[in-house]
Amino acid sequence: MNPMEQFEIHPIVPLHIGGYDVSFTNQSLLMCIVVAAASLFLTLSVSKNRLVPSRAQSMAEMSYEFVANMIQSAAGHDGLKFFPFVFTLFIFVLFSNFLGLIPGSFTVTSQIAVTFSLAAVVILTVLIVGFARHGLGFLKLFVPKAPILLLLLLVPIEIISFLTRPISLSVRLFANMLAGHTMLQVFAGFVILLGGAGGVLSVLSIAPMFLIVAIMLLELLVAFLQAYVFAILTCIYLNEALHLHDHH
Amino acid sequence: MSNTTPEPEDLKRLGKRLEEVRQRESAKAPASPPTSMGIAFRFAAEMMSGLLVGGGMGWGIDWALGRLFSIHTRPVFLIVFFVLGAAAGIRNVMHAAKELNEQSAAAMNAAPSVKDDEEER
Repeated sequence: MNPMEQFEIHPIVPLHIGGYDVSFTNQSLLMCIVVAAASLFLTLSVSKNRLVPSRAQSMAEMSYEFVANMIQSAAGHDGLKFFPFVFTLFIFVLFSNFLGLIPGSFTVTSQIAVTFSLAAVVILTVLIVGFARHGLGFLKLFVPKAPILLLLLLVPIEIISFLTRPISLSVRLFANMLAGHTMLQVFAGFVILLGGAGGVLSVLSIAPMFLIVAIMLLELLVAFLQAYVFAILTCIYLNEALHLHDHH
Repeated sequence: MSNTTPEPEDLKRLGKRLEEVRQRESAKAPASPPTSMGIAFRFAAEMMSGLLVGGGMGWGIDWALGRLFSIHTRPVFLIVFFVLGAAAGIRNVMHAAKELNEQSAAAMNAAPSVKDDEEER
């Protein structure tokens, strides 16, 4: 019962191109499923397009409105141009987190390679938008209001703190998923150990079982919350690139 | 069919009222409160990424100077940038803490305040 075994990547269709291992793995499979599930859900639920929405349609509409409100409050009105980008990120992370909670499946967002790629796309977008909007004036983001002598120290700190963003963004999502799923697996291990012990201990194995149910509920909350955090931080970073106000 | 057609002024007034309500609603929109574990993870991630980026940058500069210009500075930049990275990490954590404080303060203000009897006496 190795609790980390669930995060292992196995090739399903081994594939090597030019010396690189580009096999189709369980990770790739789950990513395809996530994209397919999200697209199917969002297109099928609104295909009827009734004035009084069905349950599925109102779910799709709520998620649309939720993200639109989030962007408007965090990045202002002209942030809405980035709605497709933020909505895609939010839905992808949300569906990966939720589908990963199904027993026996695989959590795409528990791989730092995936979360870091997403974060890198976010930061590159912020950089491109910032430089396209303000030109070299975007570099003012790194110069806080302070005496010249202090700037020598503060500018490198500001630059490092900007560079930490993709890392903290990716590590937070990845660590939350990793910790939650490991915890579930560890408690599931307790159930099996106690159940196999015999006598009174077997009866006691029901206790960690209840704990698993509780943790599962917490994980559902965390799955949503982390998708929310990822999207809102994207909005906040986009806001800085768009409006360049000093955040001190 | 009613024979009174809506006046443009009426529509305008209705629009204004709708806008007001919308603003009031959005002002008290409850930001979902983060769980304690979420807060802990947030702070840990901020601090750790500061140290990682600082240390990584210092190590990279040392490596580049040694490899490309054969100037051997090995531990100097690593140490300097590690300290800078720690400073950046602490700054990030303070930023995050301030944000969370503001969030909870806003939540407190949004909730109807209950007068404290003890205070008044």
